[in-house]
Amino acid sequence: MKTEVSRRSFLQLIGGVGASFMLGGFATLACGEEGASAQNPFAPNVFLKIDPDGVCTVSIARSDMGQGVRTTLAMLVAEELDADWSMVKVTQAPGDRATYGGMGTGGSSSVRGTNQQLRRVGASARAMLVAAAAKQWGVEPSACRTEAGKVIGPDGKSLGYGALTAAAKAIPIPTDVKLKDRSEFKIIGKPQNRVDNLDVVTGKAVYGADVRREGMLFAVCLRPSVFGSKSETIDDAKARAVPGVVDVFAISSGVAVVASNTWAALKGREALEVKWTEGPTHSTASLREALKAAAKDHHTMPEGAKRLTANYELPYLAHATMETLNAVADVRDDRVEVCTGSQSPDSAQNNVARATGLTADKVEIHNLLLGGGFGRKFSNEWIGEAVEISKRMKKPVQLLWSRECDIQHDLYRPMSEHVLSATLDAEGKPLGFSHQYLQAPGRGNGDYGTNTYLPYEVPSAGLRSAGVPSSVPTGAWRSVEHSQIIVANECFIDELAHAAGKDPFEFRKSILKNERLLKVLISAAEKAQWGKTMPKGSGQGIACFEGYGSRIAHVVEVTVKDDAIRVDRMVAVVDAGTTINPRGVEAQIQGGFMDGIATALYAEINIDGGAVEESNWSDYGWTRMSDTPKMEIFIEDSGGAFGGMGEVGYPSAPAAIANAVFAATGKRVRKFPIRLSELV
Amino acid sequence: MATYKIKVNGITKTVEAEAEMPLLWALRDLMGLTGTKYGCGIGSCGSCTVLLNGESARSCQTAISDVGDKEVVTIEGLGGKELHPLQKAWVEHDVPQCGFCQAGQIMAAAAFLKETPNPTDAEIDEAMNAILCRCGTYPRIREAIKAAAKEMK
Ligand code: FES
Ligand code: FES
Repeated sequence: MKTEVSRRSFLQLIGGVGASFMLGGFATLACGEEGASAQNPFAPNVFLKIDPDGVCTVSIARSDMGQGVRTTLAMLVAEELDADWSMVKVTQAPGDRATYGGMGTGGSSSVRGTNQQLRRVGASARAMLVAAAAKQWGVEPSACRTEAGKVIGPDGKSLGYGALTAAAKAIPIPTDVKLKDRSEFKIIGKPQNRVDNLDVVTGKAVYGADVRREGMLFAVCLRPSVFGSKSETIDDAKARAVPGVVDVFAISSGVAVVASNTWAALKGREALEVKWTEGPTHSTASLREALKAAAKDHHTMPEGAKRLTANYELPYLAHATMETLNAVADVRDDRVEVCTGSQSPDSAQNNVARATGLTADKVEIHNLLLGGGFGRKFSNEWIGEAVEISKRMKKPVQLLWSRECDIQHDLYRPMSEHVLSATLDAEGKPLGFSHQYLQAPGRGNGDYGTNTYLPYEVPSAGLRSAGVPSSVPTGAWRSVEHSQIIVANECFIDELAHAAGKDPFEFRKSILKNERLLKVLISAAEKAQWGKTMPKGSGQGIACFEGYGSRIAHVVEVTVKDDAIRVDRMVAVVDAGTTINPRGVEAQIQGGFMDGIATALYAEINIDGGAVEESNWSDYGWTRMSDTPKMEIFIEDSGGAFGGMGEVGYPSAPAAIANAVFAATGKRVRKFPIRLSELV
Repeated sequence: MATYKIKVNGITKTVEAEAEMPLLWALRDLMGLTGTKYGCGIGSCGSCTVLLNGESARSCQTAISDVGDKEVVTIEGLGGKELHPLQKAWVEHDVPQCGFCQAGQIMAAAAFLKETPNPTDAEIDEAMNAILCRCGTYPRIREAIKAAAKEMK
C-alpha cells in the first residue's frame, strides 16, 4: 500500500486538473476529468477515493486507446471493494512515474501487470470500511459483511460506504488482505459496458485533439517526404501571407506552421516552399530483394520422407490511429503542461523534463482518451515537437499531425520475409521446422533465443532472425512480432498438413502439445461445423494462437468470386484464463479480426525513392462496414490468471483467412495483402 | 475574412473566417464544438460527418461560406434533452472502442434512418461504408442501428 505522501499527491492531483483547462464559453473542453468533489473523501491511496456521497473513483494509470482498460481496471478494484458498480467512476492518472509506477500501456500488459495491486487496493479499502463500521456498532469486523457499497452488520443493519468515509480514514491501512476466490466474484466475469460510452456518444469525451486553452495557437508540421532528409532552405513568404498564420520556423523534425486555427496552419503549410537535403532512396522492391538475399541462416533439421519450403512476404503496415498524433503544450519558464493521449505518459514526463531542463515534478502530463493506439502512441515524439513549438511561441500551442503526416511518418510494422521449411516422416509427422524471420530494418537484431513461437510438437525446430538496413522507422504494432511470425507459421502449418495428406484441423490437433490451445481449437472446429461441405468457390480456414496470457482459435469462411475475396463468417473461441469483462473481450476479438481482414486484403505501405507512397485513407486501404462478416465469438475460460486481450485477436486472423482462400481456390497465399493474381 | 452567421444545434453563431474554411475547423477551432472529429480532411473517412438540413454531410468538405442558412446539427446537438435513440442504442450495444469515429457514425446513421426507417443489412452496409472505423466496431454498429430503428418506430 502507498503511504501518506501519495495520498496527498493524489488529492493535489484531483484538485488541480479540471479547473486549469477550462476555457470560458467552451463548456466541454476541460482537460483531465473530475474536479475536487465533496470534501472529506476517503482516499487510502492514489488509486481510490470514496466520497461521502458514496461515489467510488478509481484512478486509471494505464492508457485507454479503445481496449477498454478504464472499465476493466475499475472492475478489478470494484470487485474487491464490493462496490456498487453504478457508483463507480474513473479518473485518468497524469503521467507521473514517481506516484503511479510504470504506466506504459502495451503488450496486453495492463491487466496482467496491475491486477494484484488493484485488487489489493479494493480489498484494503473494504477492510478499512468494515473496521470503521464494526467500531461504530461495537461488533467484531468478522461479524460484518459487505455488499454493493454497504457494510452490513450482524443484526442486518447497514451503512453505505459514503457514510463511513470519515471513520475509515482513522483506521490503519491493513498490511495483509485476503483477495476473493474466483467463486466469490460478483463484478468480474459479468458483461459491463464501457464507462466512457455516454461521453463518447454525446460528443463530450475529451481526446487530446479536443483540448482548447485560452490564447492557444494551432500548429501543423511539414515533414520531409524522404526519411532521413532535413530542411535546407525554407521559403516561407507565401505561407506567412496566409491569413491567420502567425509564425513559421524549422523544428527538429521539419517546419512548423503556427496559426490562429488548424485550417490556416494547413493552408500555410501548403504554401511553404522547402528544399530538403537528399536522403537514402530505399524502395520496398529493393528492400524485398535485400531480405531475400539475407535468407541464409537455416536451422539444421533432420531429413525426412518429405521436405517442404515456402516464402511468405509481409508488408510495412501503418497504425493509422483514427485520432492522429497531437498534443497541447504550454511551456513556461518554471513549468510545463501537456495534454495528450500517450501510451507512455510517464516517459513523456521524463522526456519533457529533459528537453526543457526542468525537474519532472514541474512537468504535468495530462493523459486523455486516445483515439486509437495499436502501439503507435508510445514514442511521444509529437509531444517533443509541441513543446519545441510552444517554447518558441511562449504560448500554449496545439500541434496536430495531419493524416498525411500520420501515414507517411509512422513507426511502421516492419516489412518482413519468412522462409519456412520443414521435414515430415513417412506418416506425415513433422520432424524438423525451420523459420527464418527477416525484417527491414531488423528490430533489436531480433534475438528470439530458443523461442520458435510454435505450440506444436516438432522434434527439431528453430527460429532465426536477421535484419537488413533500412531508413524506414519502425515500431510495435498490435501483437508486435506475432503479427508476422504467427501469420507465417500458421500458413505454413496448413501447407504441411496438405503435404502430409491430412485435414488442417486434424493435423494441428495431432501435433498440438499445448492442452489449453488444443481445447479452444477443438471447440472452434465444432462450433464452426469444420469440414462441412462448402459451396464451390468457398472454403474454411483454421488457425490458432497462444500469447499474452490468452488463447484463441479462428475458423473462417471465405468466398472467392468475381476476382474478389469476401470473408463471410468467423468463429472464434477464446480462453482468457479468467475473463474480467466478457463484453470487452468480445469487442477486442471483433476488432482484432477486422484488423485481420484489413491486413489480409488491403493494407500495405510501399516505399519508393525513400518516401512512403500512400498518404491517406484513400490509398491506405482499410475495412469498411461491408467487409464485416458474421462473427461468432465464444469465451471458454480454463481458469487461472487473467489473460491479456488487446493483441490475442489478431495474429491467427489473417492466417485463417489465407488458409480459407486456399480451401476455396486450391492456391496458396505467400504474400500479404492477398491478391488473387499472386496466389501460387 | 468575412463574417458568417450559421445555425448550429439550434443556436445562431457568428464567426469570422475565410470563405473556404471547412465547417469542420470552424466548428472545432472557432466555436469550440469538438465532438466533430478530423480523420482525413479529404472526404474519405467520414469522422467529420454532421447533418446539414437533416442530410449527412462531410464537414471537412463543406466550406463555411456554403453553409448559408442550412441548419447544422453536430453530435453535441443530436439528442437535445434526451438521448437520440441511436445514442441510446450505441451505449446499450457498447459500440465504441476508442470512440473517435463514433460521432461520424452516429450522425451518418441518423441521416440514414430518417430516409430508411426499416433498413436491411445490405442497406446498412451501403450507407455506413462511408464512415471508417479503425477499431472495427462495425458488427456492433450494425446491431445498434437495427435496435434504434426498432425503437424509432
Ligand atoms: S475528416 Fe472529413 S471525411 Fe475524413
Ligand atoms: S471506435 Fe475507434 S475508430 Fe471507431
